Amino acid sequence: MKRTHIVLLVLVAAAVCIIVSMFGDFSTYETFASAAKEPGKQYHVIGYLEKDKALDYDPVKDPNHFSFYVKDKAGNVSKVVFNGAKPTDIEKSEQIVMTGYMEEGHFRCNKIQMKCPSKYKNDQVVIGNAS
Amino acid sequence: MDQAQFIGEHLLPGKLGHFFAITAFVTALFSAISYWRSAQTEATDARSSRTWLLFGRNSFVIHSAAIAGIFIALFYIISNHLFEYHYAWRHSDLSLSPKYLLSCFWEGQEGSFLLWCIWHCVLGLIVMFTAKGLESRTMAIISLVQVALASMLVGLYFGPEFKVGSTPFILLRDQMQDAPIFQQPNYLSMIKDGNGLNVLLQNYWMVIHPPVLFLGFSATLIPFAYTIAALWKGDYQQWLKPTIIWSLFAGASLGTGIMMGGAWAYESLTFGGYWAWDPVENASLVPWLILIAALHTLIVFKATGRSLIITLILMILMYLFIWYSTFLTRTGVLGDTSVHAFTGEGKSIYWHLLLIIGVLVVLSAGFLIRRWKSLPRVKTEEAINTREFWIFIGSFILLLSAIQIIITTSIPVWSPLAKAITGKDVAPPADVVQHYNSIQVWVAIIICLLSATVLYMRFKTTDNKVLFKRLGITAAIALVLSLIIGFAQKISTPQYAILLFSCVYTIVAMIYYAITVQKVKLKKLGASTAHLGFGLTILGILLSSYNKEVMSINTLGMYMDFGLKTKNENIRESIENVLLYKNVPVVMGEYTATFLGDSTSDTDPRVFFKVQYTRQDTVTKEVKESFVLYPNAFANPKGQEAGSMSANPSSKHYLTRDIFTYVTKAYDPKKKVEDTSQFKSHTVKEGDTIYINKGYMIFEGLDGDVKDPRYIPQNGDVAVTAKLKVYDLKGVVDSLRPVYYIRDNYAYQVTDTFSEQHLMARLENIVPEKQSVEIKVKQSDPDDDYIVLKALIFPYINVLWLGIIVMVFGFFISMWNRITKKEKEPKKNFNGEYTFTK
Repeated sequence: MKRTHIVLLVLVAAAVCIIVSMFGDFSTYETFASAAKEPGKQYHVIGYLEKDKALDYDPVKDPNHFSFYVKDKAGNVSKVVFNGAKPTDIEKSEQIVMTGYMEEGHFRCNKIQMKCPSKYKNDQVVIGNAS
Repeated sequence: MDQAQFIGEHLLPGKLGHFFAITAFVTALFSAISYWRSAQTEATDARSSRTWLLFGRNSFVIHSAAIAGIFIALFYIISNHLFEYHYAWRHSDLSLSPKYLLSCFWEGQEGSFLLWCIWHCVLGLIVMFTAKGLESRTMAIISLVQVALASMLVGLYFGPEFKVGSTPFILLRDQMQDAPIFQQPNYLSMIKDGNGLNVLLQNYWMVIHPPVLFLGFSATLIPFAYTIAALWKGDYQQWLKPTIIWSLFAGASLGTGIMMGGAWAYESLTFGGYWAWDPVENASLVPWLILIAALHTLIVFKATGRSLIITLILMILMYLFIWYSTFLTRTGVLGDTSVHAFTGEGKSIYWHLLLIIGVLVVLSAGFLIRRWKSLPRVKTEEAINTREFWIFIGSFILLLSAIQIIITTSIPVWSPLAKAITGKDVAPPADVVQHYNSIQVWVAIIICLLSATVLYMRFKTTDNKVLFKRLGITAAIALVLSLIIGFAQKISTPQYAILLFSCVYTIVAMIYYAITVQKVKLKKLGASTAHLGFGLTILGILLSSYNKEVMSINTLGMYMDFGLKTKNENIRESIENVLLYKNVPVVMGEYTATFLGDSTSDTDPRVFFKVQYTRQDTVTKEVKESFVLYPNAFANPKGQEAGSMSANPSSKHYLTRDIFTYVTKAYDPKKKVEDTSQFKSHTVKEGDTIYINKGYMIFEGLDGDVKDPRYIPQNGDVAVTAKLKVYDLKGVVDSLRPVYYIRDNYAYQVTDTFSEQHLMARLENIVPEKQSVEIKVKQSDPDDDYIVLKALIFPYINVLWLGIIVMVFGFFISMWNRITKKEKEPKKNFNGEYTFTK
């Protein structure tokens, strides 16, 4: 066996280890109920804005606190708290993808992605990272 | 609809355009077949081969003309605002400024493919004249790819469900057949204006970024085509020089294109940075990384005859990933994971692109397998202290890095499969940036260390004594420098401290090498310049992101208890947005920020928010620096998005850092109703106080001496003014003198205002019997005017931009060197032995 082949094998082995370990980084899509099983762990939740319920954002009180209600794919409604400014046009969103975790009965999210109906079929807006 | 006649349509440019599209497709196909025949008959029948070659050339020239025709037709339609065409209606409007007309091309999918086609034609024509013995094979591949691209533009419909490509010349009434408006012959008179160009694209970066990026995409085809041609012919000598040159060109242009995207993101998007590991960015970074790896192994092959197989594989992979990235970004398969807006064209383009990728895979793999046994291999082992050994390792690590990026980026592609097997619905990492950084930082460290060390080595044999002496000196200087920088910048995380050393090491090594080894001969400096640029880029990334600082920490003391463990975590959790009331200064880091108001104009849909920053000496209060930033927000005037706001940042650039601000929330001044507040009546006696927002007024009595310029005295007038002193919390700020006069038995008032506090006072009435006056006060609530602002500091971001420029410059020096270098005549029969070349 050539020296290069040995080095290659070592590198490939290392790469496989890294790639396997990075699977632990990947999040999963959950519902509020399944995310609640492990409070504090980060998940993605896909849902729809409950337009009848209050959207609470008062920049005068706190420009970094926005709360609203979302119905997840399983049909459960939960309060969601976003630590940031209220995303523009969230009222018009068709679908919301939130990254965050469950905590004391509400979902704390630090990233919101919205799909809005627009001239593009799949126009998306990301409102990022509060933390 | 065929019976209906429509008024005012211009159908000719569209018909011409569509005709050109079909022509382009057919001629590309004909060119590919001719070149293929030419290559096949080369050995057996020289005359027939020559004839086919001429056929191929002519077809490609006609093809290029047809592509130019498509461009001109579409440009005519857009610039003349022919809204009967869907493309013009959807991507432009009457108010679009001429400099953005070209941007309409890359907003839509058809236009992007067209741009790609145009660059292929330009590069293809150059290859046609320069490729010599490899022309027929190289051009056959280029033409074949042109067939694939042109098929994206033909827009042939086979039944309602199945279409091939989509033409940019489709009429609005055909695109939206169901809308009742199109039943009317004069429908065009009702379509006053187009939908307009996405506001984010109305930016100078967006005028230059897509053409350069697509030039990079197109340029990658050439080394790929040469590689296939080499495999096809079984000649691995002739392709070397052009492939190295074209790889350098592709590396430079694709790299520039990618980082121009970063610069655009930095200048006009609000994700607060130049790189977000967004899938679209990754999709173009991955082929670039593989291309760089391939370029390095190619140079190894040229010098030593080793690493041929990995070069071939890398070149092929690189080009397949170009199409894979097109697949990721164009089909909407990325779905929820990307910031970028996509035109999901549905199933047809999905299968179309998969088919193209499939053809490319079969073609490349076929050639590789056919030649596998006959590929020249070097039997001996390379020594550890040689360039070829370490370049090979470095290239392989670049490949692994690309694989890691593509696995995570492709989560939406493979997650359905993973769900079927494991039952888990895999999503991207919760913190994407952290995920990539934690892995790629090690790649950057290894590549930095390698790129510096390898250049000190030589191909085939290296004098260890000289090598270690040079490495030792470099490492010592780098260590001292990185310790200084590390302490000054407080870089304490171990992996980033190592990264700091690595990139400083690269920078030192490249300068040292350029001076002592290459004696600053510019033509020879390509490699060291490019690697110096790489080192600077990494240093810039490290410094600007490690010490990226959020300046807009909410210092008003208003923060929520988020139930986190420590107070600091609670504070940091969210308060990166600061609320600025109009004219109320807020301390932000060493600056005081004051929101001064907004400015709008009728022609520009943007609203500019004026924010003044001042820096004072903490002791003397002397103003050291003062500047105004204009972060703006765009109120979309048209379409279903009408009224929505999207923000663009504004930055103050210093040599050593940038202050980057954007508005996260604002009122819409165009919608704001003027004067919602009402006058409030106060009946007061002399010396009484009237409370106002943020202060009070004292009525100091009446005065018969009226000096208001708005009051012109006439005979018989009775006029008085009320003396009002306005106080805020600190003291007297203004005095108001509203006027009251009686003329011809009628009472008139002249209101006085104190604009800074939006305060209006009017002496409404005088009640002599009670010795009092009625004063009406109106103060529009200044709290209406606020913005929520986010401000970041990027230190030393200029090092990053400088690094990119230096790196690209290095690519071009190398190219120049390779183009002008006299090559020795390639050996007729390659036997695996090379003479030593430096």
